[in-house]
Amino acid sequence: MSGPTGPVPAVSLRQVTKRFPETRLDDEVVAVDALDLDIEDGEFFALLGPSGCGKTTTLRMVAGFEFPTSGSVHIHGEEMGHRPPDRRPVNTVFQSYALFPHMTVARNVAFGLEMRDVDRSEARRRVDEAIALVQLRGRGGAMPGDLSGGQQQRVALARAIVNRPKVLLLDEPLGALDLRLREAMQVELKQLQSMLGITFLHVTHDQEEALAMADRIGVMDAGRLVQVGTPAEVYERPRTRFVAEFLGDANLLTADVLDPSRVRLPDGTTARIATDRAAGSAVHLSLRPEQLDLVGPDEPVEHHLDSLEGTVARIGYFGSAIEYDVALDAGGPEVLVTARLGNSRGVVTREIGERVRMRWAPESATVLED
Amino acid sequence: MRATAPGGAPAALRSDLPRDGESPERAAARLAARRGALIALPPIATMTLLFVIPLAIVAVYSFATRGRTGRTVLGDWNIAAYARLGEPLVLEVVGRSLGYAVLTTAICLVIGYPFAYWLTTRPMRVRAVMIVLVMLPFWSNLLVRTYAWRVLLASDGPIPAAFAALGLGELRLLFTPFAVVLGLVYGYLPFMVLPLYAALERLDLRLVEAARDLGASGWEAFRHVTWPLSRPGVVAGSVLVMVPTFGAYVTPELLGGSRTTLVGSFVVRQFLSARDWPFGSALSMAILLLMLVATVVYFRLQEDRA
Amino acid sequence: MSVLTTVRNARRTVRREPEGVQPRGRVARLLSLHGGATFLFLYLPIVVLVVLSFNDSRIVGVWGGATLRWYRELAGEPAIFTALRNSIVVALVSTVVATALGTAAALSLERFRWRGRRAFDGLLFLPVIIPDVTMAVMLLLLFVQLFDVAGALFGLRAGFGLGTITLSHIAFNVAFVAVVVRARLARLDPRLEEAAADLYAGPWRAFRHVTLPLIAPGVAGGALLALTLSLDDVVITSFVSGPGSTTLPVYVFGLIRRGVTPLINAVSVLMLAGSMLLVVISLTLQGRRGGGALRAAVPGRT
Repeated sequence: MSGPTGPVPAVSLRQVTKRFPETRLDDEVVAVDALDLDIEDGEFFALLGPSGCGKTTTLRMVAGFEFPTSGSVHIHGEEMGHRPPDRRPVNTVFQSYALFPHMTVARNVAFGLEMRDVDRSEARRRVDEAIALVQLRGRGGAMPGDLSGGQQQRVALARAIVNRPKVLLLDEPLGALDLRLREAMQVELKQLQSMLGITFLHVTHDQEEALAMADRIGVMDAGRLVQVGTPAEVYERPRTRFVAEFLGDANLLTADVLDPSRVRLPDGTTARIATDRAAGSAVHLSLRPEQLDLVGPDEPVEHHLDSLEGTVARIGYFGSAIEYDVALDAGGPEVLVTARLGNSRGVVTREIGERVRMRWAPESATVLED
Repeated sequence: MRATAPGGAPAALRSDLPRDGESPERAAARLAARRGALIALPPIATMTLLFVIPLAIVAVYSFATRGRTGRTVLGDWNIAAYARLGEPLVLEVVGRSLGYAVLTTAICLVIGYPFAYWLTTRPMRVRAVMIVLVMLPFWSNLLVRTYAWRVLLASDGPIPAAFAALGLGELRLLFTPFAVVLGLVYGYLPFMVLPLYAALERLDLRLVEAARDLGASGWEAFRHVTWPLSRPGVVAGSVLVMVPTFGAYVTPELLGGSRTTLVGSFVVRQFLSARDWPFGSALSMAILLLMLVATVVYFRLQEDRA
Repeated sequence: MSVLTTVRNARRTVRREPEGVQPRGRVARLLSLHGGATFLFLYLPIVVLVVLSFNDSRIVGVWGGATLRWYRELAGEPAIFTALRNSIVVALVSTVVATALGTAAALSLERFRWRGRRAFDGLLFLPVIIPDVTMAVMLLLLFVQLFDVAGALFGLRAGFGLGTITLSHIAFNVAFVAVVVRARLARLDPRLEEAAADLYAGPWRAFRHVTLPLIAPGVAGGALLALTLSLDDVVITSFVSGPGSTTLPVYVFGLIRRGVTPLINAVSVLMLAGSMLLVVISLTLQGRRGGGALRAAVPGRT
């Protein structure tokens, strides 16, 4: 699960476990469970997962706000042990920004330099530079409380990057912003990262944010890393049902393995797929709704595509896309498969009750591990 | 970055290094614990010298004997002083103190609750001024505020004078239980109002709206929503009034008479005039214990309800 | 949350005027009547006292015209000035020491986990609920014993005086300061201290530059409470004071016990004015924030 070998990783976690004492009972909660992870130098890495999956605890252990119950955290090859945050070469952009409310924007940004006793004129220059970089020129004298959420976010960013940390830690940095601002900041953050060349460790529960910005994504669930890979890898080749469902929408179909290249679908038809699971075992198949194409039942299916037939049961209109929930012709409980079609010119609209055939390329289907 | 290589760490940081086989979590917790204890050391030392040791000395004295001249003999240990706590006079004084404390608290609550509620319904600007007006007596000298009542109630003071002028006859108010309770209520009313106000002000009025929307009358909404949610303020206010009134000394001394002696004056008398220090010590211990048990039980009860 | 913080927050969050659920009609009128009466109850005695202090008559109940005579006569009472000076010295010294110690106690209890923490927490609860007389007895016996020991072992002769009074005031004030500062610390977002550490501030500099400025209203509130308690105290001080070392409240208390005089009226009014001045000063000092210290020290939470 670790990254490529070669130069020393910017951050590496070795068998990191964090247990918190459960306050009421004398029980313990395992927040992070034997985590192994390498983040390359200069990489934009996103830790993605639902709340409580341990991603923030992981970030806090890198920052030095929490310490591993066992295992070790290394930054650029150096073991951090129980070293406090002020002696680690990282800076953090906090979820709620944590700007010092009693200091001006400029003093907030200058704080880290001041604490490291950077020469005054040098500090001034770097503060101005950082404030300009986040497009807040002229607001240096403002108090954080007088700024909008988006501006506070920029100050938090400037306050961290002005120190030129080896690794920048971002804890849900865009979580408090509204959708439009969030999308704009995604682009800016990405640009900033490639410009500065700093390693970013970005913690988020927003899959679109992770997909849009990260070079690699680590998906976490219940304290464990479930899958690590590029956005395309984790989205198109989810390893587990959790990953498939957490990133985007997925149709999950139960299937029986016939041989290493074929499975039988619920309605009895077969589909082509590469799998190393033994013949006869039941597996879950993931099919992304947008990979499905809808045609009339009598239209021929090209030989390189697989297909399923059914009846349109529900239609969802989303403006740019239309979703059709299609009931398969299998006996037993109703199996619905969703197909998402771009609402582009010339798309054929279907009615509820209409017979349709869904087609997909075999390489877009994935057999899940569990 | 500061020097960080383990070998190159400054001498002062050497002890910060993890011990063999110690996890980072443990090492960090050990250092934090050491730092916390270090910060706590000066206040702990002070409190030990000026509170724990004195308390121990009082405990020791309470088992000592009063010599013939009034000097305390440290030796010949006995529990005679505690046995005297059961005497009718002592029980009467303690019972009266408790009664006055409960009565004062109840009156403060009855006056203070509607008052605090009314404050929360005032327009914002007026309210800020009113709160300052409630805080001013809170911060003002209690002795002087009590003295004001001594002036008002004195036989040649304004209130009896007004009664006499109205032809209502002579009114003797000073040195009566009424004067004492009045003085206590006056002195401690702000201690009740301020926490009540804080609790009521914090209350989410949408909850009251929801109750009304669900068909509750104004009174029912108050009984089922406002009152239970303002309970923390009631608890805080009650403790803040009851505890000091029970041990009050200045107010009963200035406004009360010989028949309204409360424990405060009673204890003082054992030390300054009767010179029976063992008995005074035993009384002090009993009072402390009573207050401790009362507050702890009270807080517990309220927590259980919450 | 303390009292006026809520007022300010409410103002900031544009609280809707909750007309629909406010009492109306007879209930509202009764509440207003009660509110007015309560304010009258709180202030009438003070107003009467102030008026009487200008009364040119030895008999309190008889108005003999306005005069400043009693205030002038005060100037000829050196004992009052000695007592006042004693009070100020004791109050200032004990407040400074108790504020430093109380803040340290609050910090260690609120921000660190250490062995003995719970015991210390419980210990700090005691001075808050202990009646004044018990505290007075404790300190009296402490000093009596200390003096005995000092005399027997070292031949030292020490006695009751400003020193014992100051130590006693520190004894009861540390816990009160700790309670007030702790309430403020508990409301402080721990992320801010983490941010300071993240930006290379060591423990001391993080405290100095971030924690302390942000809990300053709490510390000031604790100090103000300590100052007020010290300037108010009668019982404990009278137990541990020596000849020539009375404080103003103890001195005035003694005067009052002997009877009501116009002179006491004048002293009382000046003392009232003093404590109100203290409040006004702290309000203006924190003008922009509207008296955070006053608010911080007012009990608003259990």
